[in-house]
Amino acid sequence: MPAGLLGALLLTLWAASSQFGIDFDPVRLFADLGRGREILAEVFQPHFAFFGRTVEPMLETIQMAIIAATIGCAIALPAAFVASRVTAPGRISFALSRGLLSVIRSLPDLLYALVFVTALSVGPLAGILALIFFNIGVAAKLLSETVDAVDRGPLEAANASGAAHVEVVRTAVLPQVLPNYVAYSLYVFELNIRASAVIGITGAGGIGNTLNAQMGFFNYENVGLIVLEIFFLVLAIELVSIALRRRLT
Amino acid sequence: MIRFENASVVYPGGVEALKDVTLEIPDGQMMVIVGLSGAGKSTLIRAINGLVPLTSGDVTIDGRSVRRAKGRELREIRSRIGMIFQTFNLVKRTTVLNNVLMGRLHATPTWRSLIGRYRAADVEIAMQALERVGIVDKAYVRASDLSGGQQQRVGIARALAQEPKILLADEPVASLDPPTSHVVMRDLQRINRELGITTIVNLHFLDLAKVYGERIIGLRGGELVYDGTARDADENVFRDIYGRSLTADDVLEAVPAA
Repeated sequence: MPAGLLGALLLTLWAASSQFGIDFDPVRLFADLGRGREILAEVFQPHFAFFGRTVEPMLETIQMAIIAATIGCAIALPAAFVASRVTAPGRISFALSRGLLSVIRSLPDLLYALVFVTALSVGPLAGILALIFFNIGVAAKLLSETVDAVDRGPLEAANASGAAHVEVVRTAVLPQVLPNYVAYSLYVFELNIRASAVIGITGAGGIGNTLNAQMGFFNYENVGLIVLEIFFLVLAIELVSIALRRRLT
Repeated sequence: MIRFENASVVYPGGVEALKDVTLEIPDGQMMVIVGLSGAGKSTLIRAINGLVPLTSGDVTIDGRSVRRAKGRELREIRSRIGMIFQTFNLVKRTTVLNNVLMGRLHATPTWRSLIGRYRAADVEIAMQALERVGIVDKAYVRASDLSGGQQQRVGIARALAQEPKILLADEPVASLDPPTSHVVMRDLQRINRELGITTIVNLHFLDLAKVYGERIIGLRGGELVYDGTARDADENVFRDIYGRSLTADDVLEAVPAA
C-alpha cells in the first residue's frame, strides 16, 4: 500500500476515534436547533435603541486596544530582535527569549484576563494587561520570523565597518522589517478589538462586559446590536489598516 | 602594513580554505588576488577584518593582531578597514545617504545612531564620499532605484565614509557589465592613488587583474601559489594558478571606455 494512502487511512481512523470520547452525534447538531431558533431570531433583530448605552463601553474597548497594542508592540520590537537567530546578541539570550515568548504565547488571552482580574480587580486595567501579554506574544513571534528572513548582506557590511551590535540591528535590519512591523501592529490592534469582546466575560472591562451582562439578562436583541457594532468596527479598522499598509510598501 | 603569518582557516565542515599563508602587504599598495572560485580569495580578504576567524597563524595590521582582538578592539580595527562586496550589500529600502552614513557608525554615539540623528560633520563626510564616486546627486534617492554600477559606487562611498586606511573589495565587479566594471575598477584605482589607501581586490577576470593590479597574488586550493608584479604575470603564470588552460570566461575583454 502506498505511504500516502496508509497515512490518509490512519488519519481517518484517528479522527473517527475521537468521537467516542465526547459522544459526538451529527444528528444532535441539527435536532437541537429548534431551541436556538428563537434566540437567533432575537439576535437578528438588533435593538437599536440600546445603542446609546453601548457607546461608552465601545470607546473603552477601543482605548484598551490602543494602549495594549502600543505597549505590547513596543516591548515586542526589541524582544523580536533578541529572539531571532540573525540578530540575537548571544546564544543564551536567544534561547531564553525564545523560551519566554513560547510561554507567553502558550497561554490564551482569556486566561491572562482571568489571572489579572483575580490579581487586581475587575475593570479595564486587568483587560489592558491581559491584552499586552497577548500582543507581545503575537507581535514578537511574527516580527522575529520576519527578521530571520532579512537580507544578511547589509548586516555583514555594517559589521565590517566596526559598528556595535545595536547599531548594526538599527541600521541594517530595522529598515528592512519596518513596514512589516507597522502591519503587525495594526493587525494586533484589530485582534484586540475582537479579543476584548471575549475577555470582557471575565470582568476585564470594555464592550465584553456589556455583552456578557446582556447575555445574562437574556436580552438577545441587545446582544445582536453589540455583535453588529463589533463587526462594523473591525471592518472599519481593517479597511484603514489596508490603506495604511499599501502606502508603506 | 598587513602581515599574514602562517595563516590558516579550516571551516567547521573540515574544508581548508586557507593553508599556511605568509604574506606582507605594504601601505598604499594596490593588490589583486586571483584564483578559481573556492580557492580561498574571499576567505583571505575576510581574514583581514576578522569576519572569518583564523584557525591558526595570525594576521596583524600595523603590528596589532586581528585574531586576538575581541569586542571593542576588533570593532576599532574594523573601523579603519572599508569593505565593498560583490552584491553591494546595501539596505535597498532606505536612501543612498543613509547607506553611506553606515560608514560613520563607528564614530557616532550609539544613542544618535538609534534615533538616526547623525552629526552634521558626519553627514558632510558621507556627502564628500558620494562626491568622490560621482553620485552626490543621488543622495536622497532610494538605493533600490539605482543601477548596479551606481549601487556599487554607493558601496564604495560607504567604505570611504569610514575614512579607512585599508580597502577590501570582494569580487566588486562580478555582478556588473564590462563597461561598468572598468568604471568601478578605475574608481578603486583612483582612490588608491589619490588617498593612498591600501587596496586589496579579489578578481576573477585576468585581464582586469593585469590592468589594475600593481601586485598580483594567486591562490589555488587555499595556498599561495604566485606573488609578483602584474607585468610578470603572463599566460603561463595564470595557467599555473588556475591549474588548467585558460578559457574565454577568464577574461572580461572589454576595452576600457575613454
